[in-house]
Amino acid sequence: MAEFKVDTRLDHHQLLLEAIIRPAVLIDYSNSQWELLLRVARRAKLLGYLAAWLEKDGLLDKIPQRAVNLLRSSLIQVKKQQQSVNWELSRILWALDGREILIIVLKGMAYQLQDLPNAAGRIFADLDLLVSKEALGQIESVLSEKGWQHHALTNYDERYYREWSHEIPALVHPERGVEVDVHHTLSSPLGNLKIDPLPFQEAAIKVEDEGVYVLSPEDMLLHCAVNLFQNNELADDLRHLLDFHEILQFFSQQQLSFQEKLINRANRLGLGRPLFYSLYFSRLLLHSSVPDQLKKRLNHQPGWLALRIMHNCVPLALLPQHPDQPSKRAELARLLLYLRSHWLRMPLYRLLPHLIYKFYLSVFPGKSARARRNG
Amino acid sequence: MKVEQLSLDELRVLLAGQGLRVKMGPFNLSVQTRLPSLIHQLHQMYAHYSLADEDEIVEFHVRVIPKRSIRQPFARLIRFEVDGRSPFPPVSVEQALATLEWGVNLVIAMRINHLLLFHSAAVERNGHVLLLPAWPGSGKTTLSAMLMHRGYRLFSDEFGLMAPEIGDFFPLPRLMPLKNQSIKIIRDYLPEAILGPEIPGTLKGTVAHIRPPQESIERVDEAAQPRWIVFPKWVAGAALRLESLPQSEAFLLLATNAFNYEVLGETAFDAVTRLVRSCECRKLVYSDFDSALAALDELTDG
Repeated sequence: MAEFKVDTRLDHHQLLLEAIIRPAVLIDYSNSQWELLLRVARRAKLLGYLAAWLEKDGLLDKIPQRAVNLLRSSLIQVKKQQQSVNWELSRILWALDGREILIIVLKGMAYQLQDLPNAAGRIFADLDLLVSKEALGQIESVLSEKGWQHHALTNYDERYYREWSHEIPALVHPERGVEVDVHHTLSSPLGNLKIDPLPFQEAAIKVEDEGVYVLSPEDMLLHCAVNLFQNNELADDLRHLLDFHEILQFFSQQQLSFQEKLINRANRLGLGRPLFYSLYFSRLLLHSSVPDQLKKRLNHQPGWLALRIMHNCVPLALLPQHPDQPSKRAELARLLLYLRSHWLRMPLYRLLPHLIYKFYLSVFPGKSARARRNG
Repeated sequence: MKVEQLSLDELRVLLAGQGLRVKMGPFNLSVQTRLPSLIHQLHQMYAHYSLADEDEIVEFHVRVIPKRSIRQPFARLIRFEVDGRSPFPPVSVEQALATLEWGVNLVIAMRINHLLLFHSAAVERNGHVLLLPAWPGSGKTTLSAMLMHRGYRLFSDEFGLMAPEIGDFFPLPRLMPLKNQSIKIIRDYLPEAILGPEIPGTLKGTVAHIRPPQESIERVDEAAQPRWIVFPKWVAGAALRLESLPQSEAFLLLATNAFNYEVLGETAFDAVTRLVRSCECRKLVYSDFDSALAALDELTDG
């Protein structure tokens, strides 16, 4: 069957990127541009982000009413989620009260605790925490005692988490349903990039009045970079590159020579490669201001060919597909990056059986439920 | 321009091409499909809907497309998609219309938070809205189908759409899925009702849709203030009872069955409080339509 026809005058990537870089352009968007932007931004999970910017700049009464309705709907949902995750953190701290466990809050909740510019309108449904490996057992048993539970897992998934992953299976309190991901390091222990969590924990910063810690600004960006270019598959991940861009801009304006410190930190921790890619693509797509000579000081830069391939593939994966006309090129790019991310995380003898198992489940989803019941 | 003014061929061209863009209550909906059976059904069932104004934003984009399955290579399956993603597993091609209608309801419930969405039927009489919230065994679809053929204007059999700040309710007249025994009951009681095909084997059993009356669809832009809240319950052989219900109880019943009460938080709490304070709240137990109609007529007179 042939594809449904699409108006090719509308470039969906351009519409989205311009809206993100300069939300003020949105007051000039035509209705048909809005219609496509709303669909693309929803897919990129950036509707709430756009809504928050428009609200902050007082532009919501200058755009079409139907767009306002969808943007506001999204923002209301996001605020509710933020509130839920915030409450979950408070419940965790209540459950662990009196135990000397250093808890570092990661990702969405950390951005919110510090009121970073990317936090407004940002969708996040999970609470991510980093603790020392020694404290894992204690946390898991205390939380289980107080009612948190693991999702039912197959034996395979249980083993995957326990032996090969940097986090334990998600904990959920059945009354609230918010997933709590407890990490003991920042990347898979099987991966090619060995990350020692200790320097991150030592540099962590205490959040006033909260009794928890967040990563230092440099480490927060490095974690973001590692998630993008080491842990994840990059598909529809523009919002995480946007996190990187916003946090980078924010601290670059606040602290003199912040970017220098960032580069030095990355070199010291051996994270030059993911930081290089993050800087490269946030400059390419989001126009982050990063001087050229700065990037050159990074260790572990990719070679010419690798960069060439990444340059062609990464934007196609990060940016959302057209909702009516998915491009085959983007699908191929996404497949390559999917394989790359697994390649980075697992040695081949583990990777191949894992991918075969995943493929089998995608064809026979019922089998996983059965395995769970029997397992 | 209305769907009924399109020939079947013109409709097919739209559905198979850029999409049929129709006005659906306060929203616009775009539907794409090439399934001949579904195109025929929509030609009849969507006849009264207006096409969305040229160049207006359409909020929801859905498609029904054929789907191949490795596990069932010879089954004729279809897939419902919204913005290219499918919230349901594939179903047989016979269930296309039911899946489309449920899918659109699901998208509305998932995405809309600028309005408070009650899980409730709503009709209008004498300029004010009568809410008929769902609770188990309420038969709100059947009851509102009956009322809309007896002088009440249908707002919706599924959604009470309320603007939380001003309290207005908005019509969203969509196809109404009658289930199992209610299909025969309505065929007998309302021979004039326009019903779609009977679709067996859905998750909710056999389903047949009623088309909302033309007037309900034409007056879709006329919002109204609520005045009565009646919690209906159909009980076989029961004598008619229409009793007043304490506001506190009405509040709890309404709040717990709204789709997005939790998401709206304080806004929803304030809105529901004002709603129950401004309305007459009743509980209705009935077994036959004529006496239920008489009781509701009396309640909503003048």
